Amino acid sequence: MSAHAATADHSHHDDHGHHHEPGFLQKYVFSTDHKTIGIQYGITAMLFLLFGFYLMMVMRWSIAYPHEPLPGWMSWVFTDTWKARWLSDGKVTGDTYNMFGAMHGTIMVFLGVVPLGFGAFGNYVTPLQIGAVDMAFPKLNMLSYWIYLVGGLVMCASFFMESGAAKSGWTNYSPLAGFADGQIVNQWLAGQTQWLLGLVLLITSSLLGSVNFITTIINLRARGMTWMRLPFFVWAMLVTGFLLLLAFPPLEAAGIMQLADRVFHSSFFMPSGLFTKSEGLVELSGGGSPLLFQHLFWFLGHPEVYVLLLPAIACVAEIIPANTRRPLWGYKSMVYGVIVLGFLSFIVWAHHMYLTGMGPKISTWFQITTVLISVPSVILLTALMISLWGGSIRFTPAMTWACAFIPMFGIGGLTGLPLAFNLVDLHLHDTYYVIGHFHYVVAPGILFGLFAGVHHWYPKITGRYMSKTLNHMHFWPTLICMNFLFFPMLVQGMAGFHRRWYNGGDAYLAKAADSTNVFGQTVAQHIDLNITMSWAAWIMAAFQIPFIVNVFLSLFAGKKVGSDNPWNATTLEWATPTPPGHGNFTFDVATYRGPYEYSQPGAEKDYLPQWEKPATTAPADAPTQAPAAH
Amino acid sequence: MEIPYIFTPRKDTGMVNSKIAIWLFLASEVMLFGGFFSSYVYLRLGADYPWPERALPVLPGLINTFVLIFSSVTVVFAWAGLKLRKWRMFQVSMGITIACAAVFMVLKAIEYNVKWHHQAVRLKDYTILEGHLDYDKKANTGEVTKDGKPVFAEADQIHVATESLTFNTLRFHKPWVEELLRQAGSNGAKVELAEELSIQGEKIPAGTPLSVDLLTKIQKNHIQSRTNNSDVRTEALRAEWIATYAKPENADKKGWELAPGVNIDVAKIKDQLMLETPSVTFAVKPTTNFWFYHRDVKEGATQSRLRDDTVLNGKLLDSPVAFHNLDAIDFRHVVMKAEEKGIDPVVAIENTWLIKNSKEAREAWEWNKAQTAKLEQQLLEKHGKDENGVAKRVPTATERYRIGWKDFIAKADGVDRGKEEIHVSEEFMGPNYKLREPKHTFPHLKVPRDLVFLSGKFTPAWNTYYAIYFTMTFLHGLHVVGGAVVLGYYLFCGKKMYQSNPEWLANRVEVGGLFWHFVDLVWIFLFPILYLM
Repeated sequence: MSAHAATADHSHHDDHGHHHEPGFLQKYVFSTDHKTIGIQYGITAMLFLLFGFYLMMVMRWSIAYPHEPLPGWMSWVFTDTWKARWLSDGKVTGDTYNMFGAMHGTIMVFLGVVPLGFGAFGNYVTPLQIGAVDMAFPKLNMLSYWIYLVGGLVMCASFFMESGAAKSGWTNYSPLAGFADGQIVNQWLAGQTQWLLGLVLLITSSLLGSVNFITTIINLRARGMTWMRLPFFVWAMLVTGFLLLLAFPPLEAAGIMQLADRVFHSSFFMPSGLFTKSEGLVELSGGGSPLLFQHLFWFLGHPEVYVLLLPAIACVAEIIPANTRRPLWGYKSMVYGVIVLGFLSFIVWAHHMYLTGMGPKISTWFQITTVLISVPSVILLTALMISLWGGSIRFTPAMTWACAFIPMFGIGGLTGLPLAFNLVDLHLHDTYYVIGHFHYVVAPGILFGLFAGVHHWYPKITGRYMSKTLNHMHFWPTLICMNFLFFPMLVQGMAGFHRRWYNGGDAYLAKAADSTNVFGQTVAQHIDLNITMSWAAWIMAAFQIPFIVNVFLSLFAGKKVGSDNPWNATTLEWATPTPPGHGNFTFDVATYRGPYEYSQPGAEKDYLPQWEKPATTAPADAPTQAPAAH
Repeated sequence: MEIPYIFTPRKDTGMVNSKIAIWLFLASEVMLFGGFFSSYVYLRLGADYPWPERALPVLPGLINTFVLIFSSVTVVFAWAGLKLRKWRMFQVSMGITIACAAVFMVLKAIEYNVKWHHQAVRLKDYTILEGHLDYDKKANTGEVTKDGKPVFAEADQIHVATESLTFNTLRFHKPWVEELLRQAGSNGAKVELAEELSIQGEKIPAGTPLSVDLLTKIQKNHIQSRTNNSDVRTEALRAEWIATYAKPENADKKGWELAPGVNIDVAKIKDQLMLETPSVTFAVKPTTNFWFYHRDVKEGATQSRLRDDTVLNGKLLDSPVAFHNLDAIDFRHVVMKAEEKGIDPVVAIENTWLIKNSKEAREAWEWNKAQTAKLEQQLLEKHGKDENGVAKRVPTATERYRIGWKDFIAKADGVDRGKEEIHVSEEFMGPNYKLREPKHTFPHLKVPRDLVFLSGKFTPAWNTYYAIYFTMTFLHGLHVVGGAVVLGYYLFCGKKMYQSNPEWLANRVEVGGLFWHFVDLVWIFLFPILYLM
């Protein structure tokens, strides 16, 4: 009965126009407010990013110094028992490297970048930009966050289990992933199985999230917010939502089938006559197909790339017009571009599988679609670049990141072109070239875009600016280190360095002495780059500290914003109080114009916010004001 | 603060929020089931074994199809009831819908249960045997339950006459240690430490009985020693590297050039190292028969290994798969392999271990051959030959090479194939052994372990067809249950919503109904591809 009483009490309050004051838990932990959930997503995702970064630092030690014990400043995180279990005389073992490699990829993609881009920025900004009070389904939104958190923790908990975490790469290919940890009697407690359980939870979370986003964008737009008045950010979120909605389920199917393979010993992805060193002829029915897994995985895997990218490009597309004081160049072509991009991303997946011998006809088809998809990508990037042209650029912290995003993402994109072609890919497949390519896209590309976003919306969230000095201490070293870290990968990759060498190619050096072994000599020529790259990674890690300090210090010591619209921007999120309260807007929102009306001829100021009523539409005011404005 | 468009549709989109959401959700579901259906096609086209066709009982599947279609109609009536503001109509129709879901799940449960209790064995020569296993009394180790009744091992176990057990101290699986102790205890055998063990100064004498606590103690010691040794060795190696880099002649050299010369000087750290106990051996006195499920054992003539790395030292005993009722023999895989090699299928079949060693199987095969010949004649008479002089219709591979349980019944009843009388319960549950016992319809058979390639129940492990069948129908079943729970919530807890705003409940039921139609639609696809094709 008490529940009834509480409800009645609540409605009683509402009737009288009072605001029910939520408790701490309801306000900050189990909140249904899209802004709080966005911040929760952001903090969690950044912690996961940090963890993923740490795993990579350990891996880079193994690559650069495979014979030397892990230094104390890196290994203090582990307990002694853990070290005894997973390190050999303090050195990183192959198993440990594989575990860290698989989890680095998984964490960065599924637990770090997607939740930060889509979960955090999408949640915080989208409802504000369309003038909505909240998401269409606030409780679902909260559920989505908690399922994501549980999924992530389930995956990471396996680091502490007997089996260790998953070790079969982030792509989790069968049959390897079907066997891994086979010695564990209770398969539900094996790291590889936990990875799948975590994945199913993450997919559920993103399904709930995407349904919520799309519904919100379709149905909750404010008055006057027509499709072509939507900020590009919202368009990008809409397309991302559809990608998550439609691309993830086939991976969920694959995950369920692989789970069955592991736990119920089915053979979905296990071919007949499988023979392993430890087990001999494996006691399985066989008859399945490892290729089927690859198809299902990459059917998600490729759209996933755009799920990572679009939120970043969305942030940059908001920041550039606000800081050049010019409209976004080619808004409409960008919108159509992003829709075409979303569509095409569903029919390019097999370019990850050229090496499987799919035959010339099918690989030609996938080459064509892959090259085609570069057209909308280039449209997006070009539009952003031209938007800079002739603008009076303010180098705010956000703008520095946005400006670096363009060339860095450009390198990432252009290095992808050779991989689109079957013949070139046969040589480059699974080499460090591929690693260099997609890390250029994700790290200095997407992450820069997201850093830009943090700086841009921080004043709206907290009411204070982030420090410019600390940002310079963060930005420049990161930009330099990124290039020292990833450019050598392209060089090594073309020389044939394989992406999964846990000792950085060291095993081939002995063969270099044999003058007939050309490959050993090639390795000897390029192996020193490992050390350059590793140091770049560690130095870059050190220079993330200014950012972390900046985020927390600015909460208390940052310069206070002078108005609700500190960047003099045009989109609706800047019409809210700072920080926006529950329900977001304090007035009846309506939209009167497109999203990027900067420096309009004849206007009084250099920006016309979407929410400001144009004088001409109000006939009563016309005689005094209209002629001056037009 | 109130979210708009929960009750009334937005004007320009014409929809309430929940309706957009359910259509999006269904789109996602289409992709999910699309993934499974594509996998089905992929697996079926790529199968390197004869894909089971019509292997499932059609009658329950057919009933389920109509049950679901009917429930899709009643859910619409339930919605109409709300729109007409007729609460009673809603209640009755929704009640029927949920009852239909229950009927569907009961039939499904019966189907699953039959599969999970039906044995299948694939021999190394590709003969497939189906039936029910015996509880092999000879293999019984003389154990008794609390009531004094003998315990029998199911006749699909590996039996090892064990002289000693070696445990991996890190990986031993507690329930299995307990199981070993139980089996030893009921045989009156003792499991004792084989050699004296010294852990951190404490001596554990030989002859100490095995217990989980003892193993845990040894495990703890091992982990402690290993941790200590790892620390010591790491420090030693680090010191070596520092010393190596410090040498002036190494100033320009890279780590990988120096590595071969950098080693831990074990003599120096000998005193700091502790004794590790990675494995420990226990003697079994007297030699005792232990048995384990075959998937958990990698058997060997003198040494068998459990999956947790426990080694059973001793002779492998005769561990046959013993069928009490062999209710189907399938040679289609044999034929497929023979045809690949260009061997006459009939010759290949007649050379199998089964036909050579089992009189009853041979009789069944001869009977089946005669029946096939008869059928061939009938088909020829009925359909004739085409212009090339080839019979227009011939018996299928299943008719030729598979002797199913109905065939065994026909043979025992002395009637032609297809003329046998099947009890109605058998259409749902498979053969009723008790009913068929007097005529000795189903033969007994003992298959030596070394001829068996794969043995188990009809589970996802049996082959990819059963794998995809179970996965898809289970997932569909989950949707049925989930849908029924949501619809049941509206039925039992919807009254308040109905009273406050009937349109609200109608919207909800409409959305739930859309989902329900989708669940029905999935079944409409599942039924033909799994049961009929």
